[in-house]
Amino acid sequence: MLGILASIIDGVLVGLVYGLAAMGLTLIWGVMDVINLTHGAMIVAGMMALYLLANALGISPYLTLPPVLIGGFFVGVALYWIAIHRMVGRPPLMSLLSTFSVNLILIGVGTAVWGTALFNVEVSLPGITVGRYTFPGAHILAAVLAAVIAALLYVFLHYTRTGKAMRAVANNREAAELVGIPTTRVLAISVGVGVALAGVSGMLIGTLFPFTILSGDGYQLKGFIVTVLGGFGNPVGALLGGVALGLLEGMVTPFVPVSWTLVIEFALFVLVLIAFPGGIFASRRGAL
Amino acid sequence: MPDVANLNPAATSRAEALLTVESLEAGYGEVQVLWGLSLKARRGALTAIVGANGAGKTTTLRAVAGSIAPWRGKVSFEGEDVTHLPSHAKAARGFALVPEGRQLFATMSVAENLEMGAFSKRAAGKYADRLDQVFTLFPRLAERKRQLAGTLSGGEQQMVAIARGLMSDPDILIIDELSLGLAPVVVYQLLATLKQLKEAGLTILLVEQNVHLALALSDYAYVVAEGKIFMEGLPAELAAKPEIRKAYLGL
Ligand SMILES: Nc1ncnc2c1ncn2[C@@H]1O[C@H](COP(=O)(O)OP(=O)(O)OP(=O)(O)O)[C@@H](O)[C@H]1O
Ligand SMILES: [Mg+2]
Repeated sequence: MLGILASIIDGVLVGLVYGLAAMGLTLIWGVMDVINLTHGAMIVAGMMALYLLANALGISPYLTLPPVLIGGFFVGVALYWIAIHRMVGRPPLMSLLSTFSVNLILIGVGTAVWGTALFNVEVSLPGITVGRYTFPGAHILAAVLAAVIAALLYVFLHYTRTGKAMRAVANNREAAELVGIPTTRVLAISVGVGVALAGVSGMLIGTLFPFTILSGDGYQLKGFIVTVLGGFGNPVGALLGGVALGLLEGMVTPFVPVSWTLVIEFALFVLVLIAFPGGIFASRRGAL
Repeated sequence: MPDVANLNPAATSRAEALLTVESLEAGYGEVQVLWGLSLKARRGALTAIVGANGAGKTTTLRAVAGSIAPWRGKVSFEGEDVTHLPSHAKAARGFALVPEGRQLFATMSVAENLEMGAFSKRAAGKYADRLDQVFTLFPRLAERKRQLAGTLSGGEQQMVAIARGLMSDPDILIIDELSLGLAPVVVYQLLATLKQLKEAGLTILLVEQNVHLALALSDYAYVVAEGKIFMEGLPAELAAKPEIRKAYLGL
C-alpha cells in the first residue's frame, strides 16, 4: 500500500516537470493559435545542453538552467521569424507543417552528430527517506524548480507590462495593436518564452531519466495530453494537467508494463477530449 | 461656422484638418468595399460619419487605423503620410480607435483593459490622471475594476471600450458606434464628456447609427453609401436635404 502511495508521490513530482514542458506549448497556442511541433526538439535541445555543459565542461547540472533558459529564449525568437511569423492567422495546417519541418531538420542534424546513443547525466543528491521508501533528490529538486519557474511565469503574465501585453494579444490581436502594443514583437517574445520553457523542462527531465536524441517526441506527446487535461491556452491549467498526468503514471506503473503507459495515457486523452472538449481545468481565471 | 470644403486647401491641410483621408480604396480579399472615399476630421471638431448598414463605415475606420491595409489612397495625420504605418505606431502618435463590437481583452480585468489602453509611452505618463477621469465618467467601472471584462454586461463593455480609448491620451478619438447598447442616460453623459474633451482640444470622429443624434452633436457630417462619400456638409444643411430626411431620418 505504501509502495503505491510512494509511486504516486513520485509521479506527482515528475508530473510537475511534465506540466512545465506543456506550459511552453500551451502558451504559444494561447497567444497565437499555433501548435509548435518543434516542442519535442526543443526539449531534447535542453537535454543535450545539459549533457554537454554538465559532462563536457563539468558544470553542476543545475547551473545549466540559466544558460538553457536564456539560450532557449533566443532560439525561440529565431524560430518565430523563420517558421511561424508568416503562418500566424493562416490555416493551422500551415504552421503545423512549417514547425514540423523545422523539427525534422533539428532531429536530423542531432542524429547525424550524436547518433541515437543513450545519454545519462549523473546527479548525486541525497534523497528523502520516509519509512522504507526514498524519494530521489533529483526528483524533488526538479519538481521544486518546475514549480518555481511556473510561478515566475504566472507573475510575468499577470504583473509585468510585457506579460500583460502577451495576454492582451492572446485575447484580441487587432485590439492590442489599436492600443499601441507592437503585437509582432509580442508574438516573437511569446515563442521565445515558450521555447525557453521547453528547453528548461528538457534540462530538468535530463536530470531524472536517461535520454536519446529521439526522446523529444514522447515528451511532446505527453505535452499534448497535459494541454488537453489543463485546457488549451491555459498555462496554470498546464501545471495542474502535468500533476494529473504524473498522478496517473504513478498509479499505473506499479501494475502495468512500461510500454502500456502511453497507451493508457492516450486512451485517457481521447476520453477527456470527448467529455471535456475545452480541457478539465479550463477555468477562465488561468486562461491567457 | 465655415464649411471645411470652402477653406483654402493649404490652410486646411495643416492648421485645420488633423486627419485627412484621400481617395481611399480598401476591401477584404478580392472584394472591394471602399471606392475612393475622402474625408477630413478638423482639429478640435466633432466629425460624424453616417450611412446604411454595410456602407463601409467600419471598413473606412479600420483602413484609416491600419487594422486592414489600404489598397490605394492616402491617410495623413498632422500633415504626415501615415497610410502604411502599423496600428500600434499610429496609437503612439495619438490615434485612438474604439472599434465596433467592443473588442475587449475578455479574460483580463477591467483595470487591466484600461492599463493596456495606456500602453504607449505618451499615455503612460498620464496614466493616473486619465484613470481618475474615466472613473469619474463611468463610476460603474470603478466599482467593477477587478471583474473580468468578458463577464460585464453589454453596456458596461461599451463603457470599457470607450474608457480604454480615452486612456491612450489621444489627439483624435475615433469611435465606431458610440451609442450601441448604452442606455439613453449613459449616452447623454458620454456626450457631455465628449463635449468637454472637445473643448479641451480633442478631435473626434464618430460613426453613429442614430442619425438624429449624429447630426445633433457634430460640427460636420459625412454620409457614406456604397463605399464612397454620398454627401457631406454642416449637420443643419444635411438635415434639410430631402434625400437625407427620407432615407436616414425617416421623416
Ligand atoms: N472581415 C470581412 N470580410 C469580408 N467582408 C467584410 C468584412 N467586414 C465587412 N465586410 C463587408 O464589407 C462591407 C462593408 O462593411 P462595413 O462593416 O464597413 O459596414 P458598416 O458601414 O460599418 O455597416 P454597419 O452599420 O452595419 O456597421 C459589407 O458588405 C460587409 O459584408
Ligand atoms: Mg460598422
